[in-house]
Amino acid sequence: MVSFALHGIGVSGGIAIGRAQLVSHATLEVAHYTIPATKVDEEIARFDHAVGAVQEELKQLHGTMMASGDVPGEFGAFLDVHWMILNDPTIAEAPKRLIAEQRCNAEWALTQQMGVLVDQFNEIEDTYLRERKSDVVQVVERVLKRMMGTSGALPTPAAEERTILVAHDLSPADVIQFKQHRFAAFLTDLGGVTSHPAIVARSLAVPAVVATHNARQMIHDGEMLIVDGANHVVIVNPDRAVLSEYRLKQGELEIERQKLKRLRTKPAETIDRQRVELHANIELPGDLEQVLESGATGVGLFRSEFLFLNREGLPTEDEQFEAYRSVAEGMDGKPVTIRTFDLGADKSKEGLDGLVRVAPNPALGLRAVRFCLAEPRLFLTQLRAILRASHHGRMRILVPMLASAAEIDATLAMIEQAKETLRERGEPFDANIEVGGMIEIPAAVLAMDAFLDKLDFLSIGTNDLIQYTLAVDRSDEAVSHLYDPLHPAIVRLLALAIGGAAKAQVPIAVCGEMAGEVAYTRLLLGLGLRNFSMHPAQVPALKQRVLTTDIAAIKPLVDRMRRTETPAKMVALLEKLNA
Amino acid sequence: MQSRTIRLRLSQGLHARVAVRVVKVASRFTSKVVLVVGERRASARSLMAMLMLAAAMGATVRLETEGPDEREALEAVAAILAPGPGR
Repeated sequence: MVSFALHGIGVSGGIAIGRAQLVSHATLEVAHYTIPATKVDEEIARFDHAVGAVQEELKQLHGTMMASGDVPGEFGAFLDVHWMILNDPTIAEAPKRLIAEQRCNAEWALTQQMGVLVDQFNEIEDTYLRERKSDVVQVVERVLKRMMGTSGALPTPAAEERTILVAHDLSPADVIQFKQHRFAAFLTDLGGVTSHPAIVARSLAVPAVVATHNARQMIHDGEMLIVDGANHVVIVNPDRAVLSEYRLKQGELEIERQKLKRLRTKPAETIDRQRVELHANIELPGDLEQVLESGATGVGLFRSEFLFLNREGLPTEDEQFEAYRSVAEGMDGKPVTIRTFDLGADKSKEGLDGLVRVAPNPALGLRAVRFCLAEPRLFLTQLRAILRASHHGRMRILVPMLASAAEIDATLAMIEQAKETLRERGEPFDANIEVGGMIEIPAAVLAMDAFLDKLDFLSIGTNDLIQYTLAVDRSDEAVSHLYDPLHPAIVRLLALAIGGAAKAQVPIAVCGEMAGEVAYTRLLLGLGLRNFSMHPAQVPALKQRVLTTDIAAIKPLVDRMRRTETPAKMVALLEKLNA
Repeated sequence: MQSRTIRLRLSQGLHARVAVRVVKVASRFTSKVVLVVGERRASARSLMAMLMLAAAMGATVRLETEGPDEREALEAVAAILAPGPGR
């Protein structure tokens, strides 16, 4: 057997080793045959029966889903859409006419009708509406499978062996069923980071690779597979050496996971009994599971831009509310900090007429809060959604890229306006919701009084703070080597910000990459930081570092770093600090 | 017959989930409920027909109702297509 590798997008990390189980793709396997005139009624009855059975199946899934309560709310809406498509005369009735007129088998009639509908959808200009054809295809697929005897249900994994599901695509209904079985991993030809299979895979902590293009064709039933989600790769028929290497890796990951589990409930406290909060940065509501597993005591940064992914147009208030609420409820009273849209005009041109313009220097242009203040409709919609979600948990609003008191005032006025609208509507919200600002522009640190007076908390975004302070674009290879978190200017700015906030008794966190790197943990602790926010995967290692740090003992070294002017000395001091 | 012209402000136009709500609501009335976009007409009781209208954001939709409860039907469906505060 030939060993080969397939590449895709790893949407959920981890390593799985197991046997492939292919999900049949009915629309590709439909036969065409003529039926005798006397059997037409029977064929129509067979079709009706299949449609009825799938309707019942979708209804039941809806019920199970509601009862289990651990599937994102939007899945219910998707099942509704599918159920209604199935009930539509174009699907439920038109094929029957084709059966009678052409005397063809029901599967063929339905496939023909699907082709007609897909063609009509293809003529639609609007991309989002055009893509609804995939819902039609998924519904038809289900009915076909029912008629062809391969039931719509996913195969049940063989108990004795780890099973990896290989599919062309998985519908929301498939994915919900997927949750009920214990597959080791899954692969799909289609899909993306925010597709439903991806979200569910992450919530189950099962490795998954999507967008493999042709995995379903390349892989045969029962073949041995290695799915490495973190490295976006699938190895088919691995040889013995590769297999044992991966088994070793898998074992290491498992040991790591066990270690993590033991640390999970332990509070992050230094040797000299200083309590430290470790929060998580997330991008999707689906990341929540990982946050809870990591032992993070809150969400320090929820990047809300995911709402713009994979879509045209702007997310509605209700869509945003649902997304925020699911995180607020999932965190069960722990703080959830939503950063308002950190977008530039480029990212939202789809939804906003007339805003398409190429900024000469986007990093210094109309983005983040500047953009939001220039687009009050967009900003108010998001603020209302966050406020509504604040009724369901402990929400905090974090505003990016503030530079001046005037911007803070304008933002706070917008928040008041959003509150007023909700009061008029009679919708409940947390009237005392905390509002914080990102510290990512040097001006914010050097003139922090307004921030300390007007805001409830602060969060330092080190990535941008470094970029703006050193005037270095890290993504530009020609200058990226100049990007240096240990530049004396950065260390001093951090000391200034953290010290200033502590003096004014305003909580301050770091949510940039520096917060997640253990090499900087002691430096930041020594500067007085007690709140770190990072990718959930980094929480356990950070906690380990906090547990082994004595702040009183390292303070003199950190004080020397604050005064150091030469980079070489800075590096030497950091090494000593971490020794 | 009752009718009203509505400019869609829904961010994804007459998208699937909104259309589902339109079908559910329209089915509660006995009146005929029709959506018209340009030259295309769709029954508000058919999800597919409405999706095929391809009414994107900013599109103008004409809502027509005819029957004993035409006034109520018009208001109910219009409320979905042009939702309340913030419009």
